[in-house]
Amino acid sequence: MRAFLELESLTRVFAGTPAVRELSLQVGEHEIVTLLGPSGCGKTTTLRMIAGFERPDSGRVVVDGRDVTGMPPQKRGFGMVFQHYALFPHLSVAENVAFGLETAGLGKAEIESRVGRALDLVRLPGTQGRSVSSLSGGQQQRIALARALAPAPKVLLLDEPLSKLDAALREQTRRELRSLVKEIGMTTVYVTHDQEEAFDLADRIAVLRQGLLDQVGPAEQLYRRPATQFVATFLGRAGAVAGTVEGVPEDGVVMCRLGADICWPALAPASAPLTKGAAVRLLARPEALAFAPSDQEAVLNGQVTERRFAGSFYVYRVSAGGGELEVQSDSSDAKPGDRVGVVPRAAPAGLFAFARSAGEGDGA
Amino acid sequence: MSGGRGHQRMAWRGRLLVAAVFAILLWAVVYPNLTVIAESFRADGTITLRHYVQVFSTPSELRALWSSIWISAATVLLSALIGVPLALLFARFEFPGRRVLGALAAMPVLLPPLVGVIAILFLYGESGVATRLLQSFLGLQSPPWRLQGASAILAVHAYSMYVYFYLFALAGLARLDPAMFEAAASLGAGNARTLTRVVLPMLTPSLAGAALLTFMTSMASFSAPYVLGGGFRVMTTQIFNSKLQGEVAMAMVETVMLATVSLLVLWPLARWEGSREYVAPSKGTSAMRVPVRSLWARVAVPLAAGVGVLVLVLPHLTLLLVSFVRDGTWTTQTLPPAYTLENYRELFAETHTFRPIFNSLLMAAVATLAALALALAAGQLIVRWRVRGRRLLEGLLALPWALPGTVVAIALATTFSAHQPWAARWVLVGTPWILILAYTLRTLPLTGRAALAGYRQLDPSLEEAAASLGAGPWRTLRRVTIPRLLPAIAAGASLAFVTGLGEFVASIVLYTHRTRPISIEILSQLRDFDLGAAAAYGVLLMVLVAAAFILGQRWVQSGSA
Ligand SMILES: Nc1ncnc2c1ncn2[C@@H]1O[C@H](COP(=O)(O)OP(=O)(O)O)[C@@H](O)[C@H]1O
Ligand SMILES: [Mg+2]
Repeated sequence: MRAFLELESLTRVFAGTPAVRELSLQVGEHEIVTLLGPSGCGKTTTLRMIAGFERPDSGRVVVDGRDVTGMPPQKRGFGMVFQHYALFPHLSVAENVAFGLETAGLGKAEIESRVGRALDLVRLPGTQGRSVSSLSGGQQQRIALARALAPAPKVLLLDEPLSKLDAALREQTRRELRSLVKEIGMTTVYVTHDQEEAFDLADRIAVLRQGLLDQVGPAEQLYRRPATQFVATFLGRAGAVAGTVEGVPEDGVVMCRLGADICWPALAPASAPLTKGAAVRLLARPEALAFAPSDQEAVLNGQVTERRFAGSFYVYRVSAGGGELEVQSDSSDAKPGDRVGVVPRAAPAGLFAFARSAGEGDGA
Repeated sequence: MSGGRGHQRMAWRGRLLVAAVFAILLWAVVYPNLTVIAESFRADGTITLRHYVQVFSTPSELRALWSSIWISAATVLLSALIGVPLALLFARFEFPGRRVLGALAAMPVLLPPLVGVIAILFLYGESGVATRLLQSFLGLQSPPWRLQGASAILAVHAYSMYVYFYLFALAGLARLDPAMFEAAASLGAGNARTLTRVVLPMLTPSLAGAALLTFMTSMASFSAPYVLGGGFRVMTTQIFNSKLQGEVAMAMVETVMLATVSLLVLWPLARWEGSREYVAPSKGTSAMRVPVRSLWARVAVPLAAGVGVLVLVLPHLTLLLVSFVRDGTWTTQTLPPAYTLENYRELFAETHTFRPIFNSLLMAAVATLAALALALAAGQLIVRWRVRGRRLLEGLLALPWALPGTVVAIALATTFSAHQPWAARWVLVGTPWILILAYTLRTLPLTGRAALAGYRQLDPSLEEAAASLGAGPWRTLRRVTIPRLLPAIAAGASLAFVTGLGEFVASIVLYTHRTRPISIEILSQLRDFDLGAAAAYGVLLMVLVAAAFILGQRWVQSGSA
């Protein structure tokens, strides 16, 4: 896929504190990329730099091979959906949607028909004359989308556009949003702090942490091969125990010693190679672990601290090996206080080894 | 989200605007005051402290200063005692007639300072309606009281300034989350406890704001002490008197003193006010007002409110009554014996009687436009562009508010009585321009406050949304910023216009016969004992003020729809 929008080591510092650091990212034509991360990690700042509202202290924004870093927002031709929609309260629905078409200097008839089409697209036909304050939250969100899409922007930028909606509506809307954006083939950057939303929407997810880009890739890759501990825990659940590296990593798999005669294979990050004897933290997805009799080979013994009913299965919290693991199981036999043995189901799948930095304790 | 967003490098036109706004404000707000300070230290071409020594060794000067201060403190106390309970009554209880009575309670704002004073004079003065009624009712030889001196000033102040407390407390109460009352009640707090532990503490910022405004207004008050003071002098009348008697240097020193005291009071209070702000966290469904239940309260509460409000509108009614009195017929009778529309007809019939009306309308309109333009430009610079020196800019907008009208007038009269183009001084004294300049300065804090509040409430993402849709700065300003600012503009403009319309304090220092505004005309009619004409002008002002308020309110609502 051809890169349509390129961010080249963008940096933005607020009063000495960097909000975004050396961020580089490429978004392909027609691709939906989600910027995912906890609140305050710099997602909005990144989006605003793309839109032109925030000027990067260094780095470039390139669109279709053209450097737009110094270009004012109104010249960029990007559509933007704001977190609180920013609909013009003094204008009607039609006037809101027509706003960008008028600035483009289109004729009256052309504007009218395109407003109609945009409203059809977001499935709110016939609302032209309504005032925006008379619409529900979900409808306002769709008008904001229609307004951004009407001028046929080169790039669509969305900043947590669904955060004001309630949970059920959010889930439905994000599916619709994806199919709509895919239908018109818009290059899209979507900001969210909600992992599920990112999974549902994105072709690729870019995970941000404290202004740094940790990893970019399709949801599956991020879940199966997280590049950092942060990605592993932010996307999906993972328990952790302490261990040391046994032998040299081979094909990205490393043996981790967890006890006298307990060694589990785990996936090692490609970026920071682990050396023999290095202290590691071993992260395990609940579905990658199973209970086993305590005399079985490579069993890690521990004690159940909590049992949670999750519909078709149970999730147990097990304190073991100086850490806490989570084990997914169909059976409800174990109960808090029981001593249990834990083994990997299909190691190294779902097990990740990350270097423990000096001074870090053994615990999770 | 707000604050600290980066902006594009400023174009030269932007820089020009910044430079122009700073230059105009420094020239109009700061420069004249510096001139006054310089003059206060000058004698025979040398620098001296002589005038200060003279002022501080004169007992009557110190007495005037002390009078200004204690009168202001007492005014704050009295106004709070009337305004706060009234606000609580109207905000917390539901009773028949609440809406109408609640609106009427703000009636004194319809009376510009001088008009309020003469209305009260017509009512409670030595030959006022109420005074004569009581006198004849009790069969007294002489009037039961004399409306003169400190107590008279205090009465007028309390009457006209309790409104600040009333309106501020109402606004503060409206911002409170009504669920708070229910929370307090659920925790077992009775009415008194809820009031002292919850409501009043949460109202503190609003009440502090009202206290500040009342104190400053009272320090600056001129009309009441001028008309009713008799031998009792406060700083404003003292300054006016010195100027009248040609003791220019003394007037300068007194002006500096009054300005200093005002600023000294304003500084800490303004900081404190700004540091405490309570906002209602949720707009719940709890009801703010509770219906009045017990039988006696159902009678007593509306009755008390009604009587209270009647007292508040009596001056207006009196003014109206007197405006219909036929010239020269009301001598010793309790109530005027003969009524006519002649006074009103005369207002518009002749050029010389209409002149003041024309002057006031025109000068107030021009001043409002100027103050509004300056305030909006400054708002853009302060809130949007966040230019360097925005604190200073904000200070410059607010400064004239801290300076009593007398100070502003003296400063302008001193500065713009010389032709020195190289020092940016021209002779404006004697022209309408000096009055327009004075009105502009006096109204600048009002438009400034409104513009800043408007800009701060304006969601910046609206302007960003416009930009993301391809709108350039001008289009964004025209289609988004200005329409969204309309309520603030309307509020600021109507207040400014109303202030200019009834302006008296600065006018009395700066007017000429040709440029005299309505307030000055009222005073001269009063001097000629043409009470009917004076009252008619007063009623006209009252009506114009009401019209401006109503129009402004309309506009405010249409903008926020
Ligand atoms: N205009 C600003 N001035 C100062 N600091 C800011 C500004 N905008 C954002 N920040 C800071 O930058 C960091 C990242 O903010 P933001 O990009 O809004 O995060 P996110 O959208 O991921 O929640 C935060 O610590 C925030 O406080
Ligand atoms: Mg954000």
